[in-house]
Amino acid sequence: MTKFIDKLGTKMLFFDGAMGTILQSKGLLPGEIPELWNMTSSDVILDIHKSYLDAGCDIVKANTFGANSFKMKDTGYSCEEVVTQGIKLAKEAVSAAGREAYVALDIGSLGKLLKPLGDLEFEAAYEAFKEICIAGEKAGADLCLIETVSDTYEIKAAVLAAKENTNLPVVVTMIFDEGGKLLTGADVSAAVALLEGLRVDAIGFNCGLGPVQMQKLLPELHRVCSLPIVMNPNAGLPVVVDGQTMFNVGPDEFAGVMKEIAESGASVLGGCCGTTPEHIKAVISMCKDIKPLKAEDKGLSVISSYSHAVELNNRPKIIGERINPTGKSRFKQALRDNDLEYILKEALTQQDNGAHILDVNVGLPEIDEPSMMERTVAGIQTVVDLPLQIDTSDIEAMERAMRIYNGKPLINSVNGKQESMDAVFPLVAKYGGMVVCLALDEDGIPETAEGRIQVAKKIIAEAEKYGISKKDLVIDTLAMTISTGQENSAITLDSLDYIRNEMGVHTVLGVSNISFGLPQREIITTAFFTIALSRGLSAAIINPASTSMMNAYYSYCAINGSDEQCFDYINQYSGAAQQPSSSAKQSEETSLFDAVVRGLSESAYTAAKELLKAKEPLALIDEDLIPALDKVGQGFENKTIFLPQLLMSAEAAKSGFDAIKEVLAKKGTASSSKGTVVIATVKGDIHDIGKNIVKVLLENYSFDVIDLGKDVAPELIVQTALDNHVKLIGLSALMTTTVANMEITIKQLKAAIPDCKVMVGGAVLNQTYADMIGADFYSKDAMGSIRYANELFEK
Amino acid sequence: MEVNKKETLRYLGYRGQEMDANLEALIDETSQELLNSIAPKSVHQEFSCSTEGDDVVHLGPLVIKSKHLAKNLKGCEYAVIFAATIGSSADTLIKRYSLTNLAKASVVQAAGAALIETFCDSLEDTIRENAAARELYLRPRFSPGYGDLPLELQRDIFRILECSKRIGLSLTDTCLMFPSKSVTAIIGLSPLQNNCHREKCTDCNNTECDYRTN
Repeated sequence: MTKFIDKLGTKMLFFDGAMGTILQSKGLLPGEIPELWNMTSSDVILDIHKSYLDAGCDIVKANTFGANSFKMKDTGYSCEEVVTQGIKLAKEAVSAAGREAYVALDIGSLGKLLKPLGDLEFEAAYEAFKEICIAGEKAGADLCLIETVSDTYEIKAAVLAAKENTNLPVVVTMIFDEGGKLLTGADVSAAVALLEGLRVDAIGFNCGLGPVQMQKLLPELHRVCSLPIVMNPNAGLPVVVDGQTMFNVGPDEFAGVMKEIAESGASVLGGCCGTTPEHIKAVISMCKDIKPLKAEDKGLSVISSYSHAVELNNRPKIIGERINPTGKSRFKQALRDNDLEYILKEALTQQDNGAHILDVNVGLPEIDEPSMMERTVAGIQTVVDLPLQIDTSDIEAMERAMRIYNGKPLINSVNGKQESMDAVFPLVAKYGGMVVCLALDEDGIPETAEGRIQVAKKIIAEAEKYGISKKDLVIDTLAMTISTGQENSAITLDSLDYIRNEMGVHTVLGVSNISFGLPQREIITTAFFTIALSRGLSAAIINPASTSMMNAYYSYCAINGSDEQCFDYINQYSGAAQQPSSSAKQSEETSLFDAVVRGLSESAYTAAKELLKAKEPLALIDEDLIPALDKVGQGFENKTIFLPQLLMSAEAAKSGFDAIKEVLAKKGTASSSKGTVVIATVKGDIHDIGKNIVKVLLENYSFDVIDLGKDVAPELIVQTALDNHVKLIGLSALMTTTVANMEITIKQLKAAIPDCKVMVGGAVLNQTYADMIGADFYSKDAMGSIRYANELFEK
Repeated sequence: MEVNKKETLRYLGYRGQEMDANLEALIDETSQELLNSIAPKSVHQEFSCSTEGDDVVHLGPLVIKSKHLAKNLKGCEYAVIFAATIGSSADTLIKRYSLTNLAKASVVQAAGAALIETFCDSLEDTIRENAAARELYLRPRFSPGYGDLPLELQRDIFRILECSKRIGLSLTDTCLMFPSKSVTAIIGLSPLQNNCHREKCTDCNNTECDYRTN
């Protein structure tokens, strides 16, 4: 028998159609689990498979779509049993048909959302998929079909599970909306970048749309995808008739559009919801003689985040360099303090300043880099949708970050040393990614352009052995300061020019090194940057907050024509600054006290900076910040101001504290603290805005706050309180269902630390309820918790 | 859709306090930013419905024990189960603004709550029109967690409506929805026109609530 993988893309192949909607017509009740029919009504399942095989399909989707351990829980059957029986029925139908056909292990969404959005750990999702994949291969499936998935992160878990635990080909079809987005926001190019990076065998769409709507998204898929394309649409968009969902596109109409789809590049066709054996029969009769277009390498150099792809091309890209402790005392302090929030703010600022990609480097000798890297990458991906450049020389940190990264990352870096290539390339081959390649090797940094080009060629050849094409490599020809040798710029630029323009490989530079040791570095750096851009620099690692560098960038893009109709340039510089907005008024000159009371963040920062020239930090806190906060807090409790006003003041006070922290970090002293408070949203609850408000206010009043985040297990809260000798714990819960977990947490806390105090808050709570679950204090609003904490720590 | 500013302010705890132009601008801009980023989606399905005694409801494939729901659906031959969401952008914005600007985070929270209600109202209008053609009238929508209707009913609703696959709505083990600005509800369709539509706060027993409308 010819293997599926050998036929894929060389001749038209046909999937079967719907299972679920047919089962509904045979009596499956709403909410009933279709996969259980493998066990209870196997004859019906067998007949459906047979009817599709009679229609002529090449691939039967086994009835295993939802047979994961989460959905099988409490059904009396295990995932393995249902998958095994599902594959068995499909194989039985194939052997009864007496011709060559394949059985797909059908793997659908787990129906649960992964962290950080939901409550399922990435590795727990991986384990659930692993169980299905192992059972499916063992039962004799010919391929894995991961389908109807709409979250790139879940897709990554499923693909890794299939690739690491089976030898089966992997086909992935996703559910896009009419706007070309997955439900979690990814566009087609982002999803394809991720999947090609993971080296799946075919990519396509299923469900959600009818053939007409899917056809509209096909050109974009075709533009970016170098693999065979699969199309399994519904029989039209769902229409609700008297409250019931129907699919109305008939077999002939369906097949007519499918023929056009096949002619424009899809080589595997089938159907999803609402399609029947008649639909599939019609498709096969119209499309079987089409010679499929060969899937060709599109040659794109792409990385991606969970939402979009960034392509290295004629338009240079900015890689923000600020998430890096080198030479930054405040950043180092943040790493030591595990202060993720500080790092995330750096990420947001760089995005606002126009970065396309963010470099992430958290290497500091005294911290556990792999776990910090993992936490930082995951953390940044909760707030910033830019692709990340994972910057580390620690291979464990690199692999852990690559595994949990939601997208196709840029890796920084590999170099020409055999040891480096041996370590990095296997990771890229497995997880996908583009790689920054430093033009140096065992002999050091070559002192000629020719030497650096030779190292680049060596790296490219070695990458090839791993199936990593040069489109996924970015060569760094190493900018070195001209203060130690003025020929340095020519070596860097000549090799860069050759590599980009003669060899057709992308280039990157850490631009600012050029001016090391010179005064007014930005002047030289900007000039060098502009020259490098004109010589073929594809991406630059810079500080996007530098106005002169960004001016050079926008000007260059307008001049070289990659900024079409100077759109971005005009947008950037045509008086956008004059637009009135809420933030425009933030920088009035005023006293620190007034700035806090009025909620003016920037003014508060400036005023604090000014005051700190003459005043001790502690005096500034006691005489200016705290009195202002007290006034605002009182206003809130008397209801003369309301929540957003309180919060604007809290933010302004925070800016004042930032100014103080900068001064202290420079001196190398820590800020003084009233005491430490642990806060968390309890297990099972994913709401945290209330908790975040309490956190900022506590910090304003000089408490050290250990924020454990949301959905936090009682054990972790207890352990953290024990480890840090904390006597006050603040818990938040929003729903009646999670108040139960609050009660459990309080019980455990009281058992472990009898003299600790627990304050609670959240929408469903009141004094009676709080008393019932054993809390020491019920805080009706954010200010209540401040009052309680102050009283407690003054005793 | 528009952001209902009055409702947004109510969720923010506004009681007629003085607002400067700065704050007004912040609320308006942030509401607009949210509005520009939402992706409303909904799914609904109609089922036959009957009540038994004063605390059992038969709704399609479900048998639900709840006095309050039974009272709400008494006399209805059909009921619609629906799920609606404005998408995850509100959650994303809240996360981002929790780091950079808490006041904006609180506005997104409030405006998001106002928006999902507006969206549900518009969806209800569609259902009302369809029902009117069959001379059926709508009962007030009733959600899991109201009164004695258990939140765990969410699991059944999610399975029946295939919320995850159809509109990208998912449920945690503790029955919380993500995206958080989402609603599931049951709407009875009754042959009798009953104009006694009470404000939904009247039925709630949390009399201390800051947001109570009456």
